[in-house]
Amino acid sequence: MSEAPSPNETAEWETLAREAARGSESAGDLADLRQFLTFSLEGASYAIPVERVREIVRIRPITPVPRLSVEVLGVISLRGEIVEVVDLRRRLGIEPAAPARRSRIIVVYCTDGSIAGLLVDGVNAVLSVEESDLQAASGDAVESLCVRGDEFVSLLDLDRVLEIDGDQ
Amino acid sequence: MAARRKTRKRKARVVSKADKEFVSEAEEILERMRLDLADLSDQRAAGDEVSPDLVNRLFRSAHSLKGLAGLFGFDPVHDLAHRLEDVLDGLRLGRVPLSAAVVDVVDRTAALFAKLLAAVGDAVAIEAMSESVQALVGEIELAKRPVETQAEEFTNLDIDASLLRALTEYEEHRLRENLRRGRNILLVDATFEIISFEEGLSELTEAIREIGEVLSTLPAPGDSSKAQIRFSLLVASDLTSTEVDARFDFPETTVRSVAAAHNPAPAPAAAGKSVSSSESEPIATADRADGVAPPISDDAPKTALPDPREFESLRSISETVRVDIHKLDELMNLVGELVIQRNALGDLVSRLHGDPATARVVGDFGKLHKALGRKLRELQSAVLEVRMVPLRQVFEKVSRVIRRLRVELEKDVRLELRGADTELDKLIVEELVDPLMHIVRNALDHAIESPSERSEEGKDPQGCIKIDAFQRGNHVVIAVSDDGRGIDRERLRAKAEANGVIEPGDVLTDKETLDLIFAPGVSTRDEVTETSGRGVGMDVVRNNLSQLGGVVDVDSEPGQGTTISMTLPITLAIIQSLIVAVADQRFAIPLNTVHETLSIGPEQIQRSQNQEILNHRGDALLLRRLSDEFGLPGSSRDDKLFVVVLGMGDSRIGLIVDRLIGQQDTVIKPIQGPIRTIRGIAGATELGDQDPVLVLDVSALLADALRRREAA
Repeated sequence: MSEAPSPNETAEWETLAREAARGSESAGDLADLRQFLTFSLEGASYAIPVERVREIVRIRPITPVPRLSVEVLGVISLRGEIVEVVDLRRRLGIEPAAPARRSRIIVVYCTDGSIAGLLVDGVNAVLSVEESDLQAASGDAVESLCVRGDEFVSLLDLDRVLEIDGDQ
Repeated sequence: MAARRKTRKRKARVVSKADKEFVSEAEEILERMRLDLADLSDQRAAGDEVSPDLVNRLFRSAHSLKGLAGLFGFDPVHDLAHRLEDVLDGLRLGRVPLSAAVVDVVDRTAALFAKLLAAVGDAVAIEAMSESVQALVGEIELAKRPVETQAEEFTNLDIDASLLRALTEYEEHRLRENLRRGRNILLVDATFEIISFEEGLSELTEAIREIGEVLSTLPAPGDSSKAQIRFSLLVASDLTSTEVDARFDFPETTVRSVAAAHNPAPAPAAAGKSVSSSESEPIATADRADGVAPPISDDAPKTALPDPREFESLRSISETVRVDIHKLDELMNLVGELVIQRNALGDLVSRLHGDPATARVVGDFGKLHKALGRKLRELQSAVLEVRMVPLRQVFEKVSRVIRRLRVELEKDVRLELRGADTELDKLIVEELVDPLMHIVRNALDHAIESPSERSEEGKDPQGCIKIDAFQRGNHVVIAVSDDGRGIDRERLRAKAEANGVIEPGDVLTDKETLDLIFAPGVSTRDEVTETSGRGVGMDVVRNNLSQLGGVVDVDSEPGQGTTISMTLPITLAIIQSLIVAVADQRFAIPLNTVHETLSIGPEQIQRSQNQEILNHRGDALLLRRLSDEFGLPGSSRDDKLFVVVLGMGDSRIGLIVDRLIGQQDTVIKPIQGPIRTIRGIAGATELGDQDPVLVLDVSALLADALRRREAA
């Protein structure tokens, strides 16, 4: 069934984007400023580049797909498009958990222009970071780290995250 | 009255799709031609020099029209266009004077084209015009009579004779024309580095175009030790060499004058502009001095035949619009969405049915829902119809390749094509080209023997490849047959054993042996040949077709030949599906792959070699449980099982499911995400509620099941 994104969801993404725009203005037009969407998994903060995010949608029925890796929960219908949803907890080696009220699916662009969904515990904010503030990390899918106040944000290498072995 | 005539005319014309295609393309060319022709008339009328580009364009239009008419076998247009092309070629080369009479003939020819196109499909009307066509052909022949050219013209030019000799006829004509017009003729010499000369030369040419006309570009000997290349450009301009030199800022470029501007010579009579300069006007009645017998006698003046321009309507004839296939995809998607909404409405109706309070409203609601369904179905087929194209273009591509390859491979082969008018979805046709080409190349390269070999075998030295296309129900079958050496079973087995596809001791039926050509690696040649090498085998062909929901079968007689047939759905867009359920999850099965559904008791299932089989009307039907196939929990019911008999081509299996839900229209969408291909799943569809339902890839399930049986 085709349905428009609920006003709520659109508003959510727009608010985040607007905040981000304000943030970049106040920071002055620094060339090396990068923007990330932050979200939480098991209480920790993670981030992916804003330009890879197409939209954020609420949790909806997921059809399981046989013969797929356990890291892929199944497919959802997004206004007529059929999109695989990656369980980001499992993908990052975190204990799986049932989706809760704050859970969201972040729809991201793959490198080939198609789209994929990432199930996360909740979406937080858009973060502007100077390139120089990023520290290299050596995790499987974590590209670099950035300190925000008293918490760490792990910036994910989205292409690594989306590299999932098709054979079970 | 007018309206009635129009209706009658419409009824009399039986216009095939190929004809429509021809008319649509021909009209496009004609339209361009007439615009150019109008410009040409304007330029002549204003006394301006007629742009050589314009004449060249007209020539190309006539050429394209000739080619198109030839392709579609529309002779009157082909003949006429052929003559017209000659005249226009004469015009651009300066062999034929651009007189009022010539322009008039060209104009009337264009008008007759329009009338002929309007009559396509109406043999009587075309026949009635044949006289006009013949008359015009005669006039054109007269009009294209060449003028005398003065050979001594170039003697005053300060230019190397070898350069002049290198000029083509067209270039000579342009030089002469510019000299006559009194322009400066300049020689621009430029030297470029060999690695970047294309860029430099095109920049220079561009710059010259702004100030005049490039008559000729000739490479000249340069200093090869410096890896340089020199060009001499012959240029006509209103500017002098000093002015041009001052404007140009190109390194290593010199400009010198070849002939200085002078007052224009009076136009030779041959290129006269007005009808009154009648000496060379071929149509003028007094024109008999040259001894060319005019095809029209004096008693039959041209007024006897109506001027085609007189009754010509300004409306375009074919009423065809060219549409980007992606726009049709969008339209199809919208129709698909509507179908899904209709399905949702149906759900709602059936849920309301039980409630007596709303019984009457629900009845009306149900009727409305049914009516909507009917209209939607009409809309669907109308949109589908738009997407259908004949196989003709694909066949033409294949013929071209065969013509080229049979020379290269030194094989004598004729190609027989049947069913070029068979229609398929445009997208399927696009995807079909590569597999078809592969099969045909294989036949030509491997199957057909050399002429001497064939003679020894007592066969016709000329081999034959046949392509036969026809519709069968909701499918189109395309069969490629050759009369070559047939498939060598022994070699095929050896190859399959070497690749580990089968074990040395395996017993295979003949069909199973032949099917080995579709196993990965088996049909791939050891040595790569230019024709069918490239490491692509029949397994790729099978996979490509399977993605389109099609199958490929092979049949071969040693020494007699091989037939490979592809069976494809007519369209991919909207298909009827059978909805089934296993472990409470729904799946859609394309209905065109479903032969029948059976309800059986568990005791009817027999076991053989660890496989479940069913005695189905005397035949052993191999059974597969969808739950096993997809690792889902098995059915809790043990009293009754549902079997969906699936078949494509010659293969059949029975798929055991928990429940049959019903038939629905489905739009198959690809699955997006990190894992693109999931074996056994062709895509997903929506059925009115939000959950996507997976669509089974029946050809993959069949192939897997049959392979497993062979392994067992």
